[in-house]
Amino acid sequence: MEGFKHLIDSLTKPTILVTFTFIIFFFLFPPSDWFDKWHRRLRFNALWGKKALLIINVLLVAFFIFGLGDPDFRAIVLKPDNVPISGLIFLVFFFTWLSMNQAYKNDELVEAGKPVDEHYDAPNDKVLVWPDLVYVEFICLILFSAFMMVWSIGLAAPLEEPANPSESPNPSKAPWYFLGLQEMLVYFDPWMAGVVLPSLIIVGLMAIPYMDNNPEGSGYYSYKDRKLSIAMFMFGWLVLWVLLIVIGTFLRGPNWNFFGPFEYWDSHKLEALTNVNLSEFIYVKLFNTGLPGNILLREIWGLLIILGYFMILPPLLAKTWLKDMYLKMGVARYSVFIVLIITALTLPIKMYLRWMFNLKYIIAIPEYFFNF
Amino acid sequence: MPDANKKKTATIKPVSPPPAALSQADDNTQVTRRSFFSWLSLGWLAFVAATGGFFTMMLRFFFPNVLFEPVQTFRAGYPEDYEAGEVDLRWKAKYATWIIRNDEGIYALSTTCTHLGCTPNWLVAEQKFKCPCHGSGFRKTGINFEGPAPRPLERFRIVLADDGQIVIDKTKKYQQEKGQWGDPEAFLKV
Amino acid sequence: MAEKKGLLKRLAEGQIWTSIFRGGGVPQSRRQRMMVVLNSVFLHLHPVRLPKHAVKLKFTWCMGGLSFFLFLIETISGILLMFYYRPTIEYAYPDIIDLAEQVPFGIMREVHRWGAHAMVITVWLHMFRVFMTGSYKPPREFNWSIGVILLLLTLLLSFTGYLLPWDQLAIWAITVGSNMARATPFLGHEGPGAALLAIGDINFVTVASDVRFALIGGRFLGEATLLRFYVLHCIGLPFIIMIFMSVHFWRIRKDGGISTPV
Ligand code: HEM
Ligand code: FES
Repeated sequence: MEGFKHLIDSLTKPTILVTFTFIIFFFLFPPSDWFDKWHRRLRFNALWGKKALLIINVLLVAFFIFGLGDPDFRAIVLKPDNVPISGLIFLVFFFTWLSMNQAYKNDELVEAGKPVDEHYDAPNDKVLVWPDLVYVEFICLILFSAFMMVWSIGLAAPLEEPANPSESPNPSKAPWYFLGLQEMLVYFDPWMAGVVLPSLIIVGLMAIPYMDNNPEGSGYYSYKDRKLSIAMFMFGWLVLWVLLIVIGTFLRGPNWNFFGPFEYWDSHKLEALTNVNLSEFIYVKLFNTGLPGNILLREIWGLLIILGYFMILPPLLAKTWLKDMYLKMGVARYSVFIVLIITALTLPIKMYLRWMFNLKYIIAIPEYFFNF
Repeated sequence: MPDANKKKTATIKPVSPPPAALSQADDNTQVTRRSFFSWLSLGWLAFVAATGGFFTMMLRFFFPNVLFEPVQTFRAGYPEDYEAGEVDLRWKAKYATWIIRNDEGIYALSTTCTHLGCTPNWLVAEQKFKCPCHGSGFRKTGINFEGPAPRPLERFRIVLADDGQIVIDKTKKYQQEKGQWGDPEAFLKV
Repeated sequence: MAEKKGLLKRLAEGQIWTSIFRGGGVPQSRRQRMMVVLNSVFLHLHPVRLPKHAVKLKFTWCMGGLSFFLFLIETISGILLMFYYRPTIEYAYPDIIDLAEQVPFGIMREVHRWGAHAMVITVWLHMFRVFMTGSYKPPREFNWSIGVILLLLTLLLSFTGYLLPWDQLAIWAITVGSNMARATPFLGHEGPGAALLAIGDINFVTVASDVRFALIGGRFLGEATLLRFYVLHCIGLPFIIMIFMSVHFWRIRKDGGISTPV
């Protein structure tokens, strides 16, 4: 028992957990034919079959039941504001499974030259809203109301201590659905993590239909014809959003340190986290000189790196690795798309830099509130 | 009618005879194309100005002239009340200030994390302030060294009153990254 | 007619019923069933007929519908809460406690709070389903974008909502949230670029003139903050989200109803 808990605790170290997720992810949701080949060779496609649904759900339930026996895990899961997140884990898995299951079914139908499940032969395939749809809605509504009633009677709504401006709770966590944002705040300055990145998430989501100019797969579940777009959406949604929420909920403890899900929340846990900026790496550690007084000179390396990342990488990719995509999308679509993607990628990059080198800022100009 | 559209001349001639009242006015005020456009732009200008003014009013509405704010200045007792080497927590709850005495003097540190404003805890064993919101750490001096806080904690103006009591004025802040900690009133020599 | 009519049928053909439900009678023929939808202001959000896969749960998961239903639950339970809750620092917290302890059937707060959590989940899952069926593709691009705004508004409603009890969660969330506004480029007094908006020694973006100030109604959190968020939560944001929802629903119909394979 204890051994298993230790195993889980050490596997959920953020570096291990996130690296593992990154490596395995595109074999689960293959973005290209090459990945698809391995996806099938590794038999990951079985994940979207009925058996896997059962097995994984049983495992998840077993894990939660087992976890509830542990006081530290129980304290996290049973905190009222966290209850929905346990639900969310099941729901996200179930609906991912459901959509992938139907997508694979349709892919097979298409391969066999048959029409997809949602195949629609207007106007013969129409049904009447009254009663066919209205009944479905009505039943949904009744069941859901009953569910809300039971939930509300069974579980008191969260309410913390009265406001006390001089004492922040330790740890101070936002409600679970904002924990992805809260996690971002650790790696980026507030103007990025609190303003620019959230705005880009919204703008990026709104831009999806304008960037994805692949006409296939509209109006039915499918995977094969939309590999790349689905894989990328899944990555943003499951990894950069849901996984960060799970990390924020289960792995962040007092003083915002990392803890395993079964680890005791010791508020005196010591971790060496002293920050270093890129300029300090270069001037102090590498050149062994002091930091130059001139701001521009001090930050020139970081500025060059960031400029290169945003100005040189996109055209370079367009000429080489992403050539096909560039040709298919055209300049405007490609530019918006690639800027959004590489901006999103700065998040994992900065996470790793922080975890491995305690690197805080690539550009640090606190004099003008400009830190990146 | 079709070539009325193409016509380059500036007069607009009504096709049907205008009603009596109108035609009287039309006799001496011909609307030329140029005057029409200048009226049009004037109209637009007025419209934009009015809308702009309206939104400015709405925006300004959110910035009241009078604020009800907590007191920003307080007396913090005598220098002897503070022990050298200690972080004093007695004004934390009421005035969000830590008072710290070292070998040379006393300074007043703001309890507001420079990251996003939570209140860090003073951890005696580790000799650091540690913020529970995103994990920023500050040394006893107020210098940030871990976590996301972008700059050191702020210090408040600290002076002695005539009766020898310490007066702390929170409206005046001293920021290390701006080189202000050296200012005479950022630090009370005792 | 020799046939004997049941009570229901007689009722449905009587004057009162026919006056309320235009056409009257129990809708049985195809025509009558179509008229039911056309004649009702509520039902005619729907088309009269729709593709058979669109009524299947496994296609839409009913997630959009549930999101809307949850919005209605939130509206009703929220109005009920407003009868007791007073948005001042002194009363907010005790009023919240009284809502559970002194009010009969004191679960309205639970319904409202859990409903908000549930709505966040259903809106996410709805977006996920729309993505997976590729339903954002032409001609539905614009409606997807409207949807993203609905998602944003849903989250903002949650955020403004959980500040109202004025408990520890509330003030630290609003502290952190409003200080992010302080870091907005150019518009916040600690944002990059704010220092550039100055003439000589006069700064235009200061702690008393930036977005954070507008948001919290002062330089420090206080009564004004709670009141501002209360108004936003109860009037401002619901008003805006209703406008966007109307457009969302209208566009579903105008874009040809639930998407189908072409
Ligand atoms: C308050 C939030 C929302 C409500 C109440 C809502 C409601 C609905 C409803 C009732 C439908 C009918 C089909 C269905 O139930 O799936 C629908 C369809 C749709 N929704 Fe939403 N929605 C919301 C948010 C969103 C979001 C966040 C997105 C995407 C980012 C979105 C995009 C769409 C699109 C593109 C359709 C058309 C789907 C199709 O034709 O298959 N909506 N919405
Ligand atoms: S508020 Fe202190 S670390 Fe974020």
